[in-house]
Amino acid sequence: MARIELRMPELGNEITEAQIDAILKGTGDMVSEGEEIVTITTPKVTMDLEAPATGTVLEVLIEVDDIVAVGTVLAVIET
Amino acid sequence: MAKSIHIDPIATRSPTELASKRIPVHAYARALADEHRVRGADALLEALRHMMVIRAFESGIASLKSTGSYGDLTYAYKGPAHLSIGQEAAAVGAAMALTPEDHIFGSHRSHGEFLAKGLAAIQMLGDNALTTIMEAHGDGALLRTVETHLPDESGRGLAENFLLMGLLAEMFMREIGFNGGMGGSMHAFFTPFGAYPNNAIVGASAGIATGAGLWMKSEGRDSIAVSMVGDGATGCGPVWEALNFAGMAQFERLWDNAGFLPVLFFFTNNFYAMGGQTSGETMSWDRLARIGVGLREDACHAETVDGTNPLAVADAVQRKRQLLLDGKGPAILDVECYRFSGHSTTDVNAYRTKNEIAAWGAVDPIGTFRESLVAEGILDTATADAIQSDVDARMNAVFMAAADPAIAPPPGLGSDGAGIGRKMFTGSETPPDRHAPEPLADPAKVVRIRKNAKKSRGGRDANGELISPLKAITLRDGLFEAILHAALIDPRIIIYGEECREWGGAFGVYRGLADLFPHDRVFNAPISEAAIVATAIGAAMEGGRPLVELMYADFIGRAGDELFNQLAKWQAMSNGLLNIPVVVRCSVGSKYGAQHSQDWSGLAAHVPGLKIIYPATPRDAKGLMASALASDNPVIVFESQRLYDQVELFQDGVPEGNYKIPIGVPDIKHVGSDVTVLTIGPTLYPVLEAADSLAGRGVSLEIIDARSLVPFDYGPVLESVAKTGRLLLVSEACERGSFAMTLATNVTRFAFDALKAPPRVLGSPNWIVPGADLEHGYFPQPFDIEDAVMTDLMGDAGHNRTGSRRWDDLALARSGL
Ligand SMILES: Cc1ncc(C[n+]2csc(CCOP(=O)(O)OP(=O)(O)O)c2C)c(N)n1
Ligand SMILES: [Mg+2]
Repeated sequence: MARIELRMPELGNEITEAQIDAILKGTGDMVSEGEEIVTITTPKVTMDLEAPATGTVLEVLIEVDDIVAVGTVLAVIET
Repeated sequence: MAKSIHIDPIATRSPTELASKRIPVHAYARALADEHRVRGADALLEALRHMMVIRAFESGIASLKSTGSYGDLTYAYKGPAHLSIGQEAAAVGAAMALTPEDHIFGSHRSHGEFLAKGLAAIQMLGDNALTTIMEAHGDGALLRTVETHLPDESGRGLAENFLLMGLLAEMFMREIGFNGGMGGSMHAFFTPFGAYPNNAIVGASAGIATGAGLWMKSEGRDSIAVSMVGDGATGCGPVWEALNFAGMAQFERLWDNAGFLPVLFFFTNNFYAMGGQTSGETMSWDRLARIGVGLREDACHAETVDGTNPLAVADAVQRKRQLLLDGKGPAILDVECYRFSGHSTTDVNAYRTKNEIAAWGAVDPIGTFRESLVAEGILDTATADAIQSDVDARMNAVFMAAADPAIAPPPGLGSDGAGIGRKMFTGSETPPDRHAPEPLADPAKVVRIRKNAKKSRGGRDANGELISPLKAITLRDGLFEAILHAALIDPRIIIYGEECREWGGAFGVYRGLADLFPHDRVFNAPISEAAIVATAIGAAMEGGRPLVELMYADFIGRAGDELFNQLAKWQAMSNGLLNIPVVVRCSVGSKYGAQHSQDWSGLAAHVPGLKIIYPATPRDAKGLMASALASDNPVIVFESQRLYDQVELFQDGVPEGNYKIPIGVPDIKHVGSDVTVLTIGPTLYPVLEAADSLAGRGVSLEIIDARSLVPFDYGPVLESVAKTGRLLLVSEACERGSFAMTLATNVTRFAFDALKAPPRVLGSPNWIVPGADLEHGYFPQPFDIEDAVMTDLMGDAGHNRTGSRRWDDLALARSGL
């Protein structure tokens, strides 16, 4: 059992923050690696962030419309 | 379409072979008796007569050019004479198989194509339709002239005189010419007969015809567009771009109304391109039709046909036309024929033998066809001679009338001499005459639109702090809102560029549109800048209003002819008969170095005929884009990549509803008293910074944002300079030959008495844009602006320079910099 964090990724050196568009998985949901968990928008693109590992969503630390900086922990998955 | 096609590495890497359809060469073998039975004698006799008319017309021009006289006329014709003597069967054969609703786009050698199309249309249209068409053209002025000076008892005869007079008067640059004398020999056209603009740029008609085909498909018309260019045009990149565009896979796979563009690429193959021999010398292909296999398994239905026989050509065009109407296009025809006349009148035939000319003379299309009609008993020699002398007499009368300035006067240029200038732009805005179809989704539910609805309209919060571009409307959003509004109400607006759907445009301006509009409204184009612009022009000529994107201004070069010779010129060259309502967006880059960071707005401003805007704030971007999309003129929009995330700092906010800001009016962004600073594009922001710092030293800047380059109202600048007496112009373009230089020159002239110092242009230096880390030494920075204000305008000799520009402009100029 390990706790794995989903963080707001680096998206090139011009993008410092993004906004949460949608949260696709909630606390307690099972996810498999690569499954989409959160949709974010930067000024330039909209993209889905995928589960970094297979397991259960332990915590979701953001809400829709939050603006998050690069590196922010968005969710935690327990494998 | 992204994600709809799975590229399977196993399947795609399996061995196989590519086969293409075989290409028929001179397969036509129908007996004349059969043609006679199917088409009737009249059609065959008309084909012969139409060839005679073209030959007589061009022989008249040839005679004027070489001897200064023709029949009873003595006249110095000064214009070009690219004659198609010998090629008449190709033109007449094609026209026989086309309806007036099919549109041809021809070449520099187009008198024959134009006359053939016109004569065929006159045959097909009834007297009433002809009268309506002739009355409608130019308030009936040409028709009145023809009725008075070239009367004919039959409706068709009168219409033929109208056709010949309209063309010849155009060549002689007369007011009653089809295009008011603004086009001339290589360009004359008359759309009611389905003859669209003829182009002096080799191959340019291919892309424009493809755009016409695009719009015909969009409207579901039962007609085709024909690109009529020479064999030499197969060497032109834009022709290949057009061929590819017309057969894009998405037309069949992704568009609701499946089928490729109805475009016939009709190559009049006379074996020469000026002095170069295409097959055997300048081209790779041995036979032109082979190029079809370069693109498609069906080889674009390519065929080589006998261009000395009008019936072989008519048969082929008829068959291709049906394929095109069935959505199976594009199609290529390689129509082999021979030009007896020189390329132009300066041609001395140094590149071909007398023998060859004589051998083709023996299969002269007119003589051969006439003989075969006689042999078949369709025509007797006496009748044939009578037709010929009738044609000659008609031609002589037309030449006499067209040359007579009392009958056909030259166009008036106005008391100020600027008459041609007034034809460059139209003041009109033509609203849509129908509703756009319902969008694919409720716009309010589209993520982008939902988020924008929650954003602050202004760029600062109650405490005056800047708001994140994620929470405030940006310049990108301003453009989007204007485009969305226009696209929702106006079905004529189609949006395309290299990544306009899923990607949302190169810099996200279109994000959300793919959820609302099907592929025929928003689509991804190939990496074909020439075809993107050319097709937009063709679609606009047919009634569409394309909004196209070139990712970077640096790619303007790839669409140079299309922007500068086509988009800019057809309104004036058509004497205002055509409007070209195309909006071209291109971004001005940064951080990507020399080929991705150039402000080429001045290059575009140099060419007459384009309206040019360069907004720097979200509010201006939205209002100017709305004006661009409503305008009937071509507009180029420059957008700085550095400003896409810019929020509104100058006004309370960006209005939510739709509004227009007129193109051509500069805007005072900051009131001041000592120095007027006129900014172009993103230089507004470093100037604002400099203004803050200079204010601390007691120097007050009045900042005016140009917003538009063409047109440009000098009023606000002259008023400001009357107050300050000093002018700095700041732009990111290289200084040499830039638009800021033009502005500076004009202000110097118009406000000379008010000036305390000569206007100073601060642009980029005349060398390459360096990469990201060195850009600050290239584009004008706040320190450079302060230096220029203090030393050049305020005359502060003791000013301690802090910018990076320590060079000597005169010394640099001497070495080409
Ligand atoms: C882009 C461009 N390059 C060169 C020319 C000069 N030019 C005029 S006609 C011509 C030859 C074109 O050959 P082809 O397409 O075979 O037509 P043809 O003259 O044989 O009818 C050339 C090179 C031009 N008008 N446009
Ligand atoms: Mg040729």
